[in-house]
Amino acid sequence: MFTYTLRRLAFAVPTVLIISLIVFLLLDLAPGDPTADLPLTIPVEVREQIRMALGLGEPVHIRYLKWLEMMLVNEPLHALANMTGWDVTRDAPRILSWQTRSPVGDIIAQRIPQTLWVVGLGYIFGVLIALPIGIISAYRQYSWFDQVGTFVSMVGFSVPTFFTGVVLILVFSVWLGWFPSMYDTTLEVRDWDSFVRQVKQIILPVSVLALFNASQISRFMRASMLDNLNQDYVRTARAKGLKEQTVVLTHVLRNSMIPVVTVIALGIPAVFSGAIITEQIFRVNGLGHALIGAIYANDIPMVQTITFIFAVLIVLFNLIADVLYGLLDPRIRYD
Amino acid sequence: MADGAREPLVQVRGLKMHFPITSGLLRRQVGAVKAVDDVSFDILPRETLGMVGESGCGKSTTGRAVLRLYDITAGSIRIEGAEIGSLSQTALRRLRPKMQMVFQDPQASLNPRMTVAAIIGEPLDEHTRWGRRERLDRIYELMDAVGLNRNFANRYPHEFSGGQRQRIGIARALALNPAFIVCDEPIAALDVSIQAQVVNLLEELQERFGLTYLFISHDLSMVRHIATRVAVMYLGKIVELAPREALYADPLHPYSQALLSAVPDPDPSLAEKVERIILTGDVPSPSSPPQGCNFCTRCPQVMPVCREIEPETREVSHGRFVACHLHDATHDPTGGRTPGTRQEPNQQGVTR
Amino acid sequence: MIRKTSLMGTAAALALLPAMAMAERGSSGHMNIIYWQAVSTMNPFLSGGTKEMNAASIVLEPMARYDETGELVAWLAEEIPTIDNGGVSEDLLSITWTLREGLVWSDGTPVTSADAVFTYEYCTHPEGGCSYRDRFANIDSVEALDERTVKVNFSDITPFPYLPFVGAGSPMIQQAQFADCLGARAPECTDANFAPIGTGPYRVVDFRPNDVIQFEANPNYRDPDRPFFQTITWAGGGDATGAARAVFQTGEMDYAWNLQLAPEVIEQMEAGGMGELLVDFGPLMERIEINFTDPSPDLPEGERSTRMHPHPILSDIRVREALSLAIDRELLTEIGYGPTGKPTCNFIVAPPAMASPNNDACLTPDKDRANALLDEAGWEMGPDGIRVKDGQRLELLFQTSTNAVRQDFQALVQQDWREIGVDTRLRNINAGVFFGSDPGSPDTYLKFYADVQMYASLFEGTDPTAHLEQRRCGREPKPDTQWQGQNINRYCNEEYDALWLELSREADPDRRQELVIALNDMFVQDYAHLPLVARGRVSAKANSLGGVILNVWDSEHWQIHDWYRIEN
Repeated sequence: MFTYTLRRLAFAVPTVLIISLIVFLLLDLAPGDPTADLPLTIPVEVREQIRMALGLGEPVHIRYLKWLEMMLVNEPLHALANMTGWDVTRDAPRILSWQTRSPVGDIIAQRIPQTLWVVGLGYIFGVLIALPIGIISAYRQYSWFDQVGTFVSMVGFSVPTFFTGVVLILVFSVWLGWFPSMYDTTLEVRDWDSFVRQVKQIILPVSVLALFNASQISRFMRASMLDNLNQDYVRTARAKGLKEQTVVLTHVLRNSMIPVVTVIALGIPAVFSGAIITEQIFRVNGLGHALIGAIYANDIPMVQTITFIFAVLIVLFNLIADVLYGLLDPRIRYD
Repeated sequence: MADGAREPLVQVRGLKMHFPITSGLLRRQVGAVKAVDDVSFDILPRETLGMVGESGCGKSTTGRAVLRLYDITAGSIRIEGAEIGSLSQTALRRLRPKMQMVFQDPQASLNPRMTVAAIIGEPLDEHTRWGRRERLDRIYELMDAVGLNRNFANRYPHEFSGGQRQRIGIARALALNPAFIVCDEPIAALDVSIQAQVVNLLEELQERFGLTYLFISHDLSMVRHIATRVAVMYLGKIVELAPREALYADPLHPYSQALLSAVPDPDPSLAEKVERIILTGDVPSPSSPPQGCNFCTRCPQVMPVCREIEPETREVSHGRFVACHLHDATHDPTGGRTPGTRQEPNQQGVTR
Repeated sequence: MIRKTSLMGTAAALALLPAMAMAERGSSGHMNIIYWQAVSTMNPFLSGGTKEMNAASIVLEPMARYDETGELVAWLAEEIPTIDNGGVSEDLLSITWTLREGLVWSDGTPVTSADAVFTYEYCTHPEGGCSYRDRFANIDSVEALDERTVKVNFSDITPFPYLPFVGAGSPMIQQAQFADCLGARAPECTDANFAPIGTGPYRVVDFRPNDVIQFEANPNYRDPDRPFFQTITWAGGGDATGAARAVFQTGEMDYAWNLQLAPEVIEQMEAGGMGELLVDFGPLMERIEINFTDPSPDLPEGERSTRMHPHPILSDIRVREALSLAIDRELLTEIGYGPTGKPTCNFIVAPPAMASPNNDACLTPDKDRANALLDEAGWEMGPDGIRVKDGQRLELLFQTSTNAVRQDFQALVQQDWREIGVDTRLRNINAGVFFGSDPGSPDTYLKFYADVQMYASLFEGTDPTAHLEQRRCGREPKPDTQWQGQNINRYCNEEYDALWLELSREADPDRRQELVIALNDMFVQDYAHLPLVARGRVSAKANSLGGVILNVWDSEHWQIHDWYRIEN
């Protein structure tokens, strides 16, 4: 298992490099101009100078190599320096956002906590809601509980978050006035009051995401449970004269969790990528928010960097999912 | 075999297992798959009742229903005199140790995430209060009994071969000293070379522990080898039930005849003489069986009466039961048209 | 009850605000502003975006700025330099600004003329990529005459010298803070760019790029009683609808910027009753540009849409007039902009004094006249309802950027033109590409590889001279200039050029006004482009926010030091 993990990690290196090249080229060659967003009062000559100042004058391969060095060497060094206080960076150049003209890494570091809180909680709650619903729905297949669960998850899955988000805002912020419609990113939790405010402002976006995630995962859970409920070993367990609870929880659930756990693991990179739409609606300053803003503004270094980080996370979590599968399912051994 | 002195261990009467067919928005029931439709038989202590038939005829369902792995639609099941047909699943749990099952697919019937020791030991946890030591001893004992190496106790099922897995399944079934074991096609998924080993093991264990088997199989030669008596099923019903030798020598029901004619005979000279009876058409759907005799759509000797009246099961000679109009008047001196009075004595295995 | 406050925030102005309970610095507490497009940097020179300019305007200030009527007001300067007071030289070659006395930066150090000179150097550095570089165009030098006086020497006669150091796009930055940030090093000074030291009523406490800014009152602000709000949270992000909702319906925000929303959405939001819509009209105008040159793809690259080949259809003024007459501008405005737009027929729509009163006839569509014109021009109605001349169908390619309102406009105009026998093919292009300046892309509005195209344009400040200059002959985008230039329609009219030259040499304000109107009339009566809608600047404020005067000529926060909380 250990050697397998190591080998997979080693294979991930060229994968990541190829991804980096593709990400860089795709975005670099895509039409679009960082100065397009500027007011038309700024003359074209000035725009050209701005483009030069952004480093667009150099040929593509030079820019790629520079970016790669900054991405893989300088940015991690800076992150290390920030965490430890060691001076290891030797003022190496960093990837600068075209919008803010400041290091992309700093912006990402600023955005990650909000994303993890809001999207992460949405995911965790989604999973916590989804598992029991999926289990009961499968165990009592076609019961009213299952029917309601199916309906709700169909709604949750098919109604886009920009719709549920706005509906929640209208109901809970505009009509009832219970929760704020905008996430106050400057709020620091210091005492009970600020904690309550934090909870209040996080409820709506988390609910939207939890509903969406729960509807997806509960379907997986249900399907996986159904697969296993009809397996022979479940009949064996019943024939052994086990309690129904033991049959469902020990035999069926444990086996059903194997694919579900990997689905959950594979969903985690999406947590990091933030929920672009939900963050946008509730004005949560997460990574998704940063990404969409950067896309609109043609801030290519920002988009490249965030996309690349997602790509790395996806590769990583694929590996984690595989390893988890191996740990959970004794039938699978990687050697 | 069926000497009247012994009380049957298992007594099944009028067993029906219908699975509902639902459809439409509200999942209303629109019909039923009559997988097992009014089946009755007895099994005497320490005997092996073979049950044969094509795929889908309801053999396995019968086996599971007898152990109440299903909630049956109707009928009575008595095991060691205790009626279990209508018991709740909770109440049944207490009785489970007495009756066990060996499943067809040794891979699928073993929980892939449990070790052999856990699989065999789980019923002990559930039904005994043994300590660790005792439990482990019993597990080893069982593994020895079925011919598994003790060192493999902590391995997972997928690490074993098919035959070994079936041994695990058998060991698990034996864990609580059952009296009655339903063997549901225990050898169907195994290599031919392994099949004999497993069947021999089952026979050996029967000797040793005094077990009673319901042996379900579509392999007629294997059934001939192991069974004392044989029941032939067709479309949810038992069409013929007879002692092994009698059945194999002289099948009475046209379906049994067709079925047995398909068995390859090891003696080529004999094989040439046997005329194979080829059945035409498909087995009708168990959700809408034909009127009259279930076999009338394919029977080579079909008569008009077969399409109208369902034949009674009657004992045509000592211990031989058949449900066929061919044997109505000619072979049955008592006359088959009084089912109400003849119902009970007509059941097989009991001579009064 | 609330009268317009004095622009300079003098004590006298305070007397005009009897409603205010406590008229002292910080007495109004906290204010929330929402910019749904978040602010990326606090250094306007490095961004060029309106949002950055607005945010920076409450920290960084210019010598002078425009009030809501478009009049110049001295800000950091003591007075507006004119020829009369000797501030502008008789030969129109220089202007001299004098800083107010005792002016200090928010860190307490004095503001000197050296800071002005530095600002000029900072923005004109060839590697700096300063967005407001054009504000300092045609300048020979900027010199500090003494501690408080700075002289700008122009390289050419400049009758309107109020571009450098005027308006929110040309504020002063502190030399001490930015000294190491010249040229290519400009982006590296993240701390300075995110928290510039200024003279304005607020200073930055915390800046999170593209997210949120925290401001607090500048303790060294020159007016001891202002600003009234002690702190501001300047939130960014979300969308225009959410921002409007936060002001109108939930009351979470006090001020929301740039609410480009469908008219019915705005109406619905206003029903929330917690806020008030602020609309004012500046020089922003949505128009259809008409290509005077042939964009035919059959032409070799480098000759398409250049003056080498006049447009085969649109070179005829009768066709252009017919196209204009067919459009129902009132309907377009109502559907696309509601209260935030006004139909117009002028090139220069604002300031009011400069807007021509002579072209309003086009507001009423006249399809009969349009049809007559086309008949006269030899375009005969074909069997399919499309006009034909010499075997050529009257078919136009109409492109614009991807944007819901613009696509509505395209469809409506297509319908209008269909009725006079003109077939229109529609095309929309991603805004990032369309407004990009990449000379390699065939889809930019500069290349104009289409017959007509629609977009909006405006000019900075109140003086349209530079804007009018863009339509001179030779200023069109062409291969020689890497497709740069703003004479988008490739208009070329000697009379126009001559008249513009006169304007560029004229210093008398009244005469200038006449000339602007004359140029405007000449341009639009030639149907060189088809003005459609004058678009307003739309913001919203909470009912409890007082003292707000929307200003389309400068940052809309130009007098934020006068904003206050209305106590109930």
